[in-house]
Amino acid sequence: MTDFPAVARPRIADALAGKRLLITGVTGFVGEALLERVLYDLPGTGIVVLVRARGGATAEDRVEQLLRKPAFQRLRDRDGDAAVDALVGTRISVLEGELPHVPALPGDLDVVVHCAGEVSFDPPIDQGFATNLHGTLALLTAIETSGSRPHYVHVSTAYVAGRRAGHVTEGSLDHAVDWRAEAAAAERVRSAAEDASRTPEQLAEFLKDAQREHGTSGAMAVAQDAEHRRREWVTTRLVDAGRERARTLGWTDCYTFTKAMAERAVEQTAVHLPLTILRPSIIESALEQPYEGWIEGFKMAEPIILAYGRGELPDFPGVPDSTIDIVPIDYVVNATLAAAAETPEPGTPSYFTICSGARNPLSFHTLHALVREYFTANPLEQRDRGAVRVPDWDWPGAERVDQLLRLGERAHKTADRLVTHLPRSDRSRGWAQSLDRQKRRLEFLRRYFDLYRPYAEAELQFSDARTLALHEGLHPDDVATFGFDAADIDWPHYIRDVHTHSVTSTLRALTGGATRSAPTRRGLDGSSTANGRIIAAFDMDGTLLSSNVIESYLWLRLPELSGAARTREVVDVARALPRWLLTERRDRGAFLRSVYRRYAGADYEQLLRIVDEQVTDIVLARLSPAAIRTVREHRSAGHHTVLITGAIAPLTRPVAGLFDEIVAANLAVGADGRCTGFLLRPPLVGEARAAWLRHRAEQDGWDLSASYAYADSQSDLPLLRAVGNAVAVDPDVALSRFARRHRWPVEDWHALAPSRALAGSRR
Amino acid sequence: MSRPGFVLDVDERTPPLLMHSGESFRLQEFPLGSRIIYPPESLPGVPDVDEEIENALLHPIDSEPLPDLLRPGMRLTIAFDDLSLPLPPMRKPDIRQRIIEHVLEHAARAGVDDVQLIAANALHRRMTADELKAIVGERVFRSFYPDNLVNFDAEDRANLTHLGKTDKDEDVEISKRAAESDLLVYVNVNLVAMDGGWKSTAIGLASYNSLRHHHNSHTMTHSRSFMDPKMSQLHSSAWRMGRVLNEHVKVFQIETSLNNDAFPSQYGFLTKREWEWSLRDQATFLGAKRGIDLMPAKARRKLFQSMQAPYAVTGISAGAVEPVHDQTLQRVHRQQLVEVDGQSDVLVLGLPYLCPYNVNSVMNPILAACLGLGYFFNMYVGHPIVRKGGAVILNHPVPWEFSTLHHPSYVDFFEEVLSVSTDPKVIEQKFEQQYATDPWYVHLYRTSYAYHGVHPFYMWYWCAHALDHVGDVIWVGGDRRAVARMGMRSASTFADALEMASDTVGRSPSITYLHSPPHALAHVK
Repeated sequence: MTDFPAVARPRIADALAGKRLLITGVTGFVGEALLERVLYDLPGTGIVVLVRARGGATAEDRVEQLLRKPAFQRLRDRDGDAAVDALVGTRISVLEGELPHVPALPGDLDVVVHCAGEVSFDPPIDQGFATNLHGTLALLTAIETSGSRPHYVHVSTAYVAGRRAGHVTEGSLDHAVDWRAEAAAAERVRSAAEDASRTPEQLAEFLKDAQREHGTSGAMAVAQDAEHRRREWVTTRLVDAGRERARTLGWTDCYTFTKAMAERAVEQTAVHLPLTILRPSIIESALEQPYEGWIEGFKMAEPIILAYGRGELPDFPGVPDSTIDIVPIDYVVNATLAAAAETPEPGTPSYFTICSGARNPLSFHTLHALVREYFTANPLEQRDRGAVRVPDWDWPGAERVDQLLRLGERAHKTADRLVTHLPRSDRSRGWAQSLDRQKRRLEFLRRYFDLYRPYAEAELQFSDARTLALHEGLHPDDVATFGFDAADIDWPHYIRDVHTHSVTSTLRALTGGATRSAPTRRGLDGSSTANGRIIAAFDMDGTLLSSNVIESYLWLRLPELSGAARTREVVDVARALPRWLLTERRDRGAFLRSVYRRYAGADYEQLLRIVDEQVTDIVLARLSPAAIRTVREHRSAGHHTVLITGAIAPLTRPVAGLFDEIVAANLAVGADGRCTGFLLRPPLVGEARAAWLRHRAEQDGWDLSASYAYADSQSDLPLLRAVGNAVAVDPDVALSRFARRHRWPVEDWHALAPSRALAGSRR
Repeated sequence: MSRPGFVLDVDERTPPLLMHSGESFRLQEFPLGSRIIYPPESLPGVPDVDEEIENALLHPIDSEPLPDLLRPGMRLTIAFDDLSLPLPPMRKPDIRQRIIEHVLEHAARAGVDDVQLIAANALHRRMTADELKAIVGERVFRSFYPDNLVNFDAEDRANLTHLGKTDKDEDVEISKRAAESDLLVYVNVNLVAMDGGWKSTAIGLASYNSLRHHHNSHTMTHSRSFMDPKMSQLHSSAWRMGRVLNEHVKVFQIETSLNNDAFPSQYGFLTKREWEWSLRDQATFLGAKRGIDLMPAKARRKLFQSMQAPYAVTGISAGAVEPVHDQTLQRVHRQQLVEVDGQSDVLVLGLPYLCPYNVNSVMNPILAACLGLGYFFNMYVGHPIVRKGGAVILNHPVPWEFSTLHHPSYVDFFEEVLSVSTDPKVIEQKFEQQYATDPWYVHLYRTSYAYHGVHPFYMWYWCAHALDHVGDVIWVGGDRRAVARMGMRSASTFADALEMASDTVGRSPSITYLHSPPHALAHVK
């Protein structure tokens, strides 16, 4: 102990006692950990937090919610719930505000720790600048106006070093990029992208794509989708702009780029404040505090670890012996507090890199081996398929992985185009579902490969000499609780027993070891509380019975015609079929009109007689028993049952007894009792159905949010979306995809036997 | 001279034996010592049917001759059995047509104007115009349809009459037209021993209100068997009701019995004993079997449903219901009764494609169960063929298939009722009322071609005696999910079924196979 510095530093708790500390970003990972440590270990320090209101919750509400999270459990155990609940408003002052709009700050701040920032690696470029740069500048301005002269501690990232190779020292970054010019350019990119998205050519493109996908749902659905596509397009442009700009200047992505710009801005703006810049590397779960394995949300490596555990990560683009620089969150918190307690002179900022790579490097292949060891011992369970087998990585290099990925993406696209044109069936829905699963996996891989590639290939060598000196200068009594020497980390223990275990336990708890079950229709026990009458709306063709407009046209017309005329009619209809089918893809209303035009000249009374004498049997024989059961269930639950169909009214006669109300197409009849081939009103299809429902709901006090709708095709989407309980019945591929995304129940009403149920099991 | 029925003991020389299994059939080997019940060979028909009819009408039993009962200005109602009889449908002309024509001729001669023909379909489905025409013939159809040739509507409150109660407090409620007629003539086809007698009018023309007194799980469990009217509570109840009916309306019952020619001559092998098959029979069997199995399902159904039986009439009796029925039963017994010595551990049945309720339709699992455990199991007088606690092995594919046109309430019964319980008593208490009064089923029964909402319950009650009596029911080749839904088990082969049954009846059970159709009624001593 002889070489220990003669003037020992005071303990951190003493150094910060009686001081007022402002923390931004307490709802984030680092901020939350920091707040907890201050509350737990620094009893004499006052706290101000800057939090934005969200949803209906005020800033204070959010801090109160925060204090109920698991991280604060040990504080509650020690001090009691009452004491912790009383903290807000006493020891913690809550300021409501959102970067870059910072409210007036108190004039007596001693330390400001700025942890708030953009968490995504690839934000749109203007958003990256707004949060990381303008947010920081706004905070500094607010400090300036408040009259406080605090120690400003800026939490940055080790990766601001960018894509350089070799040693990175703890000091001001070596670059000459003008952050003001870059920030201004980012703003311009936004307006340029907005403008570019609004050119007639581009808008026509959006409209065309939207039409292709939602044409049958009606004009408004197409318009909504086109606008949605435009916004997505702008966002993608801005994300691309961020990434490419970062790369052209030597950074990995928009996140590190804007963080680096913020550092430079701070250096130039906070010249008369004591300034400390902290650069942690990849922050992962806690080693000890607040408890072993604590982690909040999923950060950088967790999705990869989980995907690997699920066997979905066949290989990795990294260089196996390059270093992955990970630090536990409690080391970052400790270093931050130690740095905060040590106030530098204004104008001579302190820099600390909090990393493990300098003296205790963890290579990718060791990480892989440890994670693999963990999953081999504790495999994830796949539903009904036992333990997942984890893949062995070959480390084929980034190029090869990228190639494989691109091949997969192309194959998927082709298959997807095929499957959306298949006729509906269990099989095509199954194919679509597995394609979607594959797509999600591909997108995930693509996203992470692109993100990780620069990190995984990075040959950065961080130096942490100053951080080590800071650690070594700790008061001897602080070393145990506030130490942060990365050389201490026992990787096998940390990665295998602490981190991977903690990450997967969240998943195991979340799903109970199984994937979530298919959504089912809510029971009709009448226990729900509705504000008004509940209705159940049913589509007819394809939902109630297996039929279509053309087929039912032939049922109605053929009996009336003589032999030769009958043949002619069938031939004519067959000839018109391709045209009709094309029309239907585009506009269902137009399709119905052109089929109904053929009723011109038919004797209406005769049609009714044909329905009663002949068509009723066909319809009843084709009615799905499950459909009838469902209608009847709704009726006995006291719901108002409505049949909404584009079919002509006479065809609904066989099922009239099942419904309280029938909305169908009405053929116009001339004075001679013959159909004119026109309709009395436009057929109720697509959005018109939803509009009709809303209109009636308003008029008759229906509670649509508690109501039900059943339909089979994408063109019924507006109808289904208008109610709280939508059910897709034997849906086409497009609707089945939509239903799965929105967790709508999908029911099969036309298979009599349960398709793959086990013997004796209930349907 | 036709040979009587007999019981074959299977020995080394016994060839594989024909067995029905839905819309197909196959040859099945039986363990040595198994007993096979063969029905008597087909009896010869009466030489001149018209003469026989006239004779019956003019010389009835315990009644004035028909012409004496007819007078101008009277109301005459002629009721007749619906399409559930006979099975398969009879090759034209149907015996009912011939009798009805004779009756109508007498009526015309007597100057009777007010004549109505009613199909006594009770809660069965309405018949289509074509189906009615097939029974009454073109001439009658043309003269009376649709106003005076009708299906009975048991839900038409305005056209029902409550005639009072029996001494056991049973409601007698039947067709108003029939009850208020001056003469009710009933024309029946007595295919098996349960048909006819008071069952024709007191059941065929009755409403649910009346039927519920005997079509219930208790009565069915205590009808042992319902092919033996004297031992059947179902029949006792119908007879009590018939006597009430008899106080209000004069009933002139005309009963007919058929021989065992159930299949067209090209399927002769179906009615012959296997060891007597000629080369030609063997060839047609092979050809038919191969052809049928290769056919698409739709074509196969069409082929089977279009089969018409070349039945010959073995006798006609007319007059007062009870003595007429006694005569008829004697004739039915002469054609079908086989003496069987003692019960066995296992009863084997091969179920054909047709039962009374799927004419021109689909045999759904409930109907298959009813055919096996209701009708075939009950083909006994004396004691059941299988001992108490024994096993029944049924051969049928039991497809999970329903006609939504004809059997809408069956689908729901299968989904909603059998999934909760398969116990007839529980089902009866918990669900029957709801299905019987459901307005949608009533609507379909009255306006479409649907069996009444309560009908699937009756099918299940028909099985009640068997379910109560046997220890195990195994279906060979049955759809596993459908069979399991009914609370039973299925086996891939007959050998597996015997293996499974060994839990109940041991390793070397006595086995009896009822070689039917054509029908055989076992008199088990």
